[in-house]
Amino acid sequence: MLSFARNKIVGVEHPEENVFLAHGVLEDYIYALELDVEVKVPNFEITGIQGKYRRYTTPECPKAIVKLQNAVGLRILEGEFGRKVRRVVGKEGCTHFANLLIECCDGIIQAAIYGEWQALKEKGIAPAKEEYLKGKLQDIAGLKDSCMVYSRWGK
Amino acid sequence: MVRIYTRNKYATTTDLEDGSLLLRATLEDTFFAGVVEMEVKVPDLEIASIRGEIRRAVNEECQKAIPLLQDLVGLRIGSGTNKTVNDLIGSSTGCPKLADLVLECVDQVILRFTLPWLKGSQSQSEQGQIENLREMVRQNPRLVGSCIAFSKGSRLLEGLELGK
Repeated sequence: MLSFARNKIVGVEHPEENVFLAHGVLEDYIYALELDVEVKVPNFEITGIQGKYRRYTTPECPKAIVKLQNAVGLRILEGEFGRKVRRVVGKEGCTHFANLLIECCDGIIQAAIYGEWQALKEKGIAPAKEEYLKGKLQDIAGLKDSCMVYSRWGK
Repeated sequence: MVRIYTRNKYATTTDLEDGSLLLRATLEDTFFAGVVEMEVKVPDLEIASIRGEIRRAVNEECQKAIPLLQDLVGLRIGSGTNKTVNDLIGSSTGCPKLADLVLECVDQVILRFTLPWLKGSQSQSEQGQIENLREMVRQNPRLVGSCIAFSKGSRLLEGLELGK
């Protein structure tokens, strides 16, 4: 029998050339919350955020909603992004909103890196993966040393 | 509007008969699928065993990160765990997605032990629930400053005397 479980779902849309929208849901035995995040390129900057609780633990928790606005202006590809979110949205607000926001933004990064390649593949005109990724690593600053694969291909 | 990307990350905790915890975190998204499973001893919260699997990835090289997980065996969950996991498993020499799955398991441990506190106060009045939360902070003083509810100035902490 499970003694705890958490489920997080994120969906990303790309309604305009320079806009990504993420919708995230976190549900576990204790908390239930939702986020909508807007990120604009080329700076990958958070330009809008809204959130709501469905379930929380203390009468003080709803005060964390306003602290979500601390994320506006943050750039999701900056090396310190996660640390900043955990401080200004998490410690100053709610750690679970910070957790879900990082999840949403990681989803946007994945969509920005591979979404175009997937679309080109569907049309049958995708370049080789290495060639495509090397181009993306040049275009999207901040990715180059983020993992063992990108650190090799980014050189 | 059609989605261009979707992610589902879920994590579970099972209490084992010897008192240990079995944690499992799974990520399934448009471009990646992986799982990390680990056993944690209670009460010392030491990682006794860990395994991981990358089931789908755009880059085959990602598989090279799997053996790094064994560096975590013997690690005790506590302050500094996030940095240790990110340094050993994530960063430019590893896989941040695997590191995130490990940290999802670590979060499960904390949440697993928070749940009984909250269950215990469910049927109480609002004041009773607040007293229960205050007792939780008394016994876990590291909660102070961890979020807005337990920040300085919060009414939940008014007059609360914390032990040494």
